[in-house]
Amino acid sequence: MDILQNLYMGFSISLTPTNILYCLAGAFIGQLVGVLPGIGAPTAVALLLPMTFSLNPTSAIIMFAGIYYGVAYGGTITSVLINIPGESSTVMTCLDGYQMALKGRAGAALSSAAIGSWIAGTIAVALLMCFAPALANFALRFGPPEYFGLALMSFGLLTVFGGDQPIKSIAATLMGVFIATIGLDVVSGVPRFSFGVPQLLGGVDFIVIICGIFGLTEIFNSIENPDEGNLIKQKMRLKDLFLTRAEWLASRWAIVRGGIIGFFVGLIPAGGITTASFLAYLAEKRLSKHPEKFGTGVIEGVASPEAANNAASISGFAPLLALGIPGSPTTAVMLAGFMMWGIRPGPLLFQNNADLVWGLISSKFIGNLILLLMNIFLIPFFVMILRVPYTILMGFIVVFATVGAFTVSNNLFDVWMMLGFGVLGYVMTKLKYPIVPLVLGLVLGRLAENSLRQSLMLSGGSLAIFFTRPIALLFMTAAILAYLTPLIQWGLKSLRPAAVKAA
Amino acid sequence: MRFADLLGGMIVLLFGLSIVFFSSQLPYMSEYGPGPGLLPLWLGVGLAGCAIAIILKALKTPDKGEAFFKPRTRIGIQMLAMIVVAFLLLPLLGFSVGLALFTAVSMRIIGKHGLLMCALTFVGAAIGIHFIFGEWLSIPLPTGIAGW
Repeated sequence: MDILQNLYMGFSISLTPTNILYCLAGAFIGQLVGVLPGIGAPTAVALLLPMTFSLNPTSAIIMFAGIYYGVAYGGTITSVLINIPGESSTVMTCLDGYQMALKGRAGAALSSAAIGSWIAGTIAVALLMCFAPALANFALRFGPPEYFGLALMSFGLLTVFGGDQPIKSIAATLMGVFIATIGLDVVSGVPRFSFGVPQLLGGVDFIVIICGIFGLTEIFNSIENPDEGNLIKQKMRLKDLFLTRAEWLASRWAIVRGGIIGFFVGLIPAGGITTASFLAYLAEKRLSKHPEKFGTGVIEGVASPEAANNAASISGFAPLLALGIPGSPTTAVMLAGFMMWGIRPGPLLFQNNADLVWGLISSKFIGNLILLLMNIFLIPFFVMILRVPYTILMGFIVVFATVGAFTVSNNLFDVWMMLGFGVLGYVMTKLKYPIVPLVLGLVLGRLAENSLRQSLMLSGGSLAIFFTRPIALLFMTAAILAYLTPLIQWGLKSLRPAAVKAA
Repeated sequence: MRFADLLGGMIVLLFGLSIVFFSSQLPYMSEYGPGPGLLPLWLGVGLAGCAIAIILKALKTPDKGEAFFKPRTRIGIQMLAMIVVAFLLLPLLGFSVGLALFTAVSMRIIGKHGLLMCALTFVGAAIGIHFIFGEWLSIPLPTGIAGW
């Protein structure tokens, strides 16, 4: 009953004309960003965040949430029509979506993605309504050791999910945590690593870093590696968007399975929508009676990952709202937004800012519906946007990033810092150091350090405090296993040739 | 690429050791518990350890011949140079004119777009930046010699 009452309250906030407009704006911008090359959801949110200083936080977060799940809808269009993923979460859609387009079924691919995303998104919001408050209640039992364990576990999961070079993931995380230590130490007031520069005493602002890393780094990468593909020239009429009965029957359970997989993967800190879509595709292929047909243009190959990425984009808000731990780069940027507005996500958010939480949750029903309608009726418009050259967009990205960095403290020093981080991000990408762990390390670094110091103060310097409290022990065990996973995999790989020889 | 990995690893090693050095000058423990130097010291040690592992792996891995500098890297460096020049000119030209000029010039040099299109973009961007950020969002953007 509580949930229904809260949902009613949420709708009374999200159904105001202002918030509907912000939801629509977010969904539209998200879809646009998904279609446009070289700009992702973290970039869009990072560049718009400084502009929302004076906005009502509820309206702003509704807009950013709309951008986050809108991006996956938009990325599908380029995946299907050009065979280039507009977003990392739509990589799997390329495999079958483009093949469907080559067979003249681009409309069906796009609409199955839209419908699948809407159904899975709606299911995910309903599950979020149950999970998020329960998670928040559970998190009320957390103390400093639990928060430190959770932060360590999040870093560790990034190592597992973070790509094929785990040691570089760890290094990037450590760099991010180090950057978070720059400035005045909150406990002792001692300046750390500011080297006499007064602008660094307050630390390096997160907005400056994300404008550099998600703005400028992406520009340098996109210039060096332009996405080139041939746009499928297919006239799409409204009737082309309807699925045949066979296609609907083939895709309906794929949508449900994808949605459930996506929801649970999105709940894991550092899980993310890309991992969700990947796992959903693999699961669907494994369960299929004709796995050999995947990759040739089967509708389940589109419906499942699309359902998963949308569900994950919604469930990713659960750890953010209930624990204050971001589940993806985009929610990491949103966490910075919360701090900017003076709101602390975590278990008390559901008590102290219930209107924001339930306004946000209820707005996702509205946003998903808006995106479904947009994807059915506005596809030709977004296809037209595909033709805008990146060489026009990149100048405007620099404008947004520069103004965004400047607004932090109205200081050109921050603009130069932003450029520095943009170059750092570019060099890291070139050397195959992942960026996401750096961002997560930055976001969670202060929390991790404060929790560590508080825990050691409580225990009189003993590390046993992390292993004698059950919840902290659970997180620490998960963290240790996550860090050891690459070593175990390496060990098994080394043993395999020896086992084959022995046989 | 192997050389780049080695160089990258050595830079990270240097960075990690620098962090260890500067952290060692901060109090490790304080009156109330762990001091400001505790976490940074261990971060530096961790970074140095990662760097050594990266260097060792790079030494063992044969060079796959993947080039660090690609044909279009030069264009990226051009873009970086233009951004630096733009930022240097911001105090003189102001944000609206300076950034609009950068947008138009980058379209011309990198995108090879026509002069008319670049000129129109310059005018539109200058007006847009001034009115959207300066007036509507009330961001106190520095003005230049033109008063914008």
